[in-house]
Amino acid sequence: MARKMLRDGETEAYDYDLFVIGAGSGGVRASRTSAGFGAKVAICELPFHPISSETIGGVGGTCVIRGCVPKKILVYGSAFRGEFEDARNFGWELSEDINFNWKKLLNNKTQEIQRLNGIYKRLLTNAGVTMIEGEGKLAGPHEVEVTQPDGSVQKYTAKHILIATGSRAQRVKIPGEELAITSDEALSLEELPKRAVILGGGYIAVEFASIWRGMGATVDLFYRKELPLRGFDDEMRAVVAKNLEGRGIILHPQSTLTELSKTDEGIKVVTDHGDVLVADVVLFATGRAPNTKRLNLAVAGVETDKTGAIKVDEYSCTNIPSIWAVGDVTNRMNLTPVALMEGTCFSKTVFGGEPTKPDYKDIPCAVFSIPPLSVVGLSEQQALEQATSDILVFTSSFTPMKNTISGRQEKTVMKLVVDSATDRVIGASMCGPDAPEIMQGIGVAMKCGATKKQFDSTVGIHPSAAEEFVTMRSVTRRLTVGSKI
Amino acid sequence: MATSLGAPRLSFSPKTLQALRRTLPLSFSKSLHSKPLLRPSISHSPILLRLPRRRLSSRPSASAGNNSAAASSGGDNYDFDLFTIGAGSGGVRASRFAANFGASVAVCELPFATISSDSTGGVGGTCVLRGCVPKKLMVYASKFSHEFEESHGFGWSYETDPKHDWGTLIANKNAELQRLTGIYKNILKNAGVTLIEGRGKIIDPHTVSVDGKLYSARHILIAVGGRPNMPNIPGIEHAIDSDAALDLSVRPDKIAIVGGGYIAVEFAGIFNGLMSEVHVFIRQKKVLRGFDEEIRDFVGEQMSLRGIEFHTEESPQAITKSEDGSLSLKTNKGTVSGFSHIMFATGRRPNTKNLGLEDVGVKLTNNGAIMVDEYSRTSVESIWAVGDVTDRINLTPVALMEGGAFAKTVFANEPTKPDHREVPSAVFSQPPIGQVGLTEEQAIEEYGDVDVYTANFRPLKATVSGLPDRIYMKLLVCANSGKVLGVHMCGDDSPEIIQGVAIAVKAGLTKAQFDSTVGIHPTAAEELVTMRTPTRKIRRNSSSDEEKVKDAVKSTT
Repeated sequence: MARKMLRDGETEAYDYDLFVIGAGSGGVRASRTSAGFGAKVAICELPFHPISSETIGGVGGTCVIRGCVPKKILVYGSAFRGEFEDARNFGWELSEDINFNWKKLLNNKTQEIQRLNGIYKRLLTNAGVTMIEGEGKLAGPHEVEVTQPDGSVQKYTAKHILIATGSRAQRVKIPGEELAITSDEALSLEELPKRAVILGGGYIAVEFASIWRGMGATVDLFYRKELPLRGFDDEMRAVVAKNLEGRGIILHPQSTLTELSKTDEGIKVVTDHGDVLVADVVLFATGRAPNTKRLNLAVAGVETDKTGAIKVDEYSCTNIPSIWAVGDVTNRMNLTPVALMEGTCFSKTVFGGEPTKPDYKDIPCAVFSIPPLSVVGLSEQQALEQATSDILVFTSSFTPMKNTISGRQEKTVMKLVVDSATDRVIGASMCGPDAPEIMQGIGVAMKCGATKKQFDSTVGIHPSAAEEFVTMRSVTRRLTVGSKI
Repeated sequence: MATSLGAPRLSFSPKTLQALRRTLPLSFSKSLHSKPLLRPSISHSPILLRLPRRRLSSRPSASAGNNSAAASSGGDNYDFDLFTIGAGSGGVRASRFAANFGASVAVCELPFATISSDSTGGVGGTCVLRGCVPKKLMVYASKFSHEFEESHGFGWSYETDPKHDWGTLIANKNAELQRLTGIYKNILKNAGVTLIEGRGKIIDPHTVSVDGKLYSARHILIAVGGRPNMPNIPGIEHAIDSDAALDLSVRPDKIAIVGGGYIAVEFAGIFNGLMSEVHVFIRQKKVLRGFDEEIRDFVGEQMSLRGIEFHTEESPQAITKSEDGSLSLKTNKGTVSGFSHIMFATGRRPNTKNLGLEDVGVKLTNNGAIMVDEYSRTSVESIWAVGDVTDRINLTPVALMEGGAFAKTVFANEPTKPDHREVPSAVFSQPPIGQVGLTEEQAIEEYGDVDVYTANFRPLKATVSGLPDRIYMKLLVCANSGKVLGVHMCGDDSPEIIQGVAIAVKAGLTKAQFDSTVGIHPTAAEELVTMRTPTRKIRRNSSSDEEKVKDAVKSTT
């Protein structure tokens, strides 16, 4: 159907029906599904490298090469330390000297992301998408120019252009900032730091704090607010902070770094409280910015917002009708599965004859701290802000069964937020082992407006942690409309 | 009260019952009996047993004169409104809830022991003392050896390989069980339930004897659970059951596990992880009869890869003990020798012997389970039963549900049927299984036109560990309505993952609604919401032979 449409004349004037700039999660998905609808598609991406810059990147993008995947591999690796501790009370005798070989992990991680990079390339090839290596820039509403690694420049025309160039870690402007690294480098360090200082309170900061701590480093975590993970449920933020501390991470709330300098002992770090630390590594996990600077957006007149993100409508179309954008470059909700959703909706809209808006309601997400946090829907604070009727909050805090033997002093905390008028569960969160795996199913139930009664009518799976979500019988607190927490 | 005791059972709605309760001030059971509410079953229906009508409020206490240990709280002459026999999951839940609804409640239970018998048991019951809890603790303990193996790929190494000290594990496990049995006792105490230690036996429809002492009650609840069952073959006295297997004083060097059910595969994983040599003998070709066929295949393969040896289509015939103390298992196919332990996981039987049931007229099924109606009432109107002793779905959360529904029905003026549909469950094999709803075979039988979505993949952790671990998932969808009929998964975290999915399945969600859920990345669970293309489409009108199914597979992939 789409194919026929495309064959009706106009297409012939362009090299491609779709030209995609950036082969990360959103770009690859959009290319494949568009090709599946019969469109002639080309995609350009920078050469592969674990650390991104203006001229290097790689098929797979942030998620596969510098984000979700390598991060999760390192979380797996670092989580073993806790397992070794936990094993003792279960009768396991481990030698005092447990060795951790960072180079081996790094090597295995790089192998895995190279394998995935290859898989992504094959996916594109098999879908009939033309891959072009090089840096893509706009040359007009229907034209892209690609600077190839050898410096040659090639121009391509396309009926539609999709920008999916993602984002990149930002640095803080303080003296000595060049001594610090970002998450890109942190995933590929030559040497494992013994002393790590992390600036930032977002998910990237707490994840790296957990990773390095698990690998044996001392970790100092600095953030501006009282608690890390701004935007998440306040009670869960406190739980995460307590767990990080319990695992030996030194928290510095309401503080920041003011100066870095190089010394023989390492990087000298000065804080705004006047404290001085020496570290092997200083990580800036202070946000990411959309990759829009070198795209020549002005040539085509594409508008961006203050943060440099490309402005799009609900269908991911920019102010120029032939130019679209999905994923982190639009800075809507910067998650891989959201970029995938946006990419698919774009293809359906443009090539599937089925205008489709991505739906941002009840998107579950996870923070892979150790133990992890996962949430879907509203936090207690958000629920109260939006409330038109009373909000019922159900919480459960319990010692996971494994810890009853291991002796680990860590509780799992769960929360359900319910609209008293409709009985609908409008928010769920959990901090504890397996939280991200557990929340996926809860996310399915919530996406369809499951009520608390439906949660309660589900029989538990015993013994699991997840069964607590269907056995929360009594209300912990009731918040009246207009009240403050 | 009498019922036909097969399905269909009671045929009135809860509303009717509530209305009756409102109009009749007498007890629920009385009101039930005073109206001919029962519709005799057509399909099975033996005799509609009619018990003599009794005027509850004026019935003298059977214990009057010889026992007044507990005060009666009601305006009648019973010692208790409810006497529960058995303080396991179902009994404790029912007792607590009944007490919260204002009933005076007593519960009796045998003295604590890790191994159950006619004279030992313990507050907490099978789940806490001899089932779910100790089993899961052992699973945790045994899983570490797999984690040690995984850790190598992530850069970890040890000067010497980790060793396991059996005694530490058993001591710590038993300390935890003692703590839990104490907690359960406190729960009962705090709810105001009288706990009586001893063996309960029913004397008449309103009287229970506990080691000779008589107690009268308006209602009696039987929640005595089940117990492992072993076949009567020569040398069976040398075998152990799951009770004993959870409390061995030494690690088995080489163990034979007879049986293919969930208990057998769970223990196979436990002993394998704790470094015993494990042989599993199953009568059929595959483990876990009743589970989805592909899950059965998959879990068997994965367990074999972890070093468990399966002996299929072998039935045990005899056990012999040699002079050095080692055991041999003779089967229809031959004899395997050199076992330090032989464990039988060949089913469980309801604990209905010596309870006085036959004398008082409580009907049993062929396998000794107590027959109950949809409200958990037995053929005697004042006697009820919940949990494994009724052999409906033998799971802790189901016993809890039945116990809760019983208390609501009898003491809260709110007749409630436990809902046995779409009960999720897990097998803590290694890797574990989680499932909810119908198997593929059941779905096809019931709905005919079914779309089957499957995924079989190597999880991220395994790509780095280098181990051959995989994850299998299956989603069964009604082709006509789009409703998700069943979800099955085998692999790490399956039980945790399936719980949330079960809420969705219970709520009757469609495949389209699953697909509209955004994934959590990177997790295994996200695969469940990203299964776009059916692996095969089963259609009723196409013939059921293999070729057609295979064609369907080809046409959709």
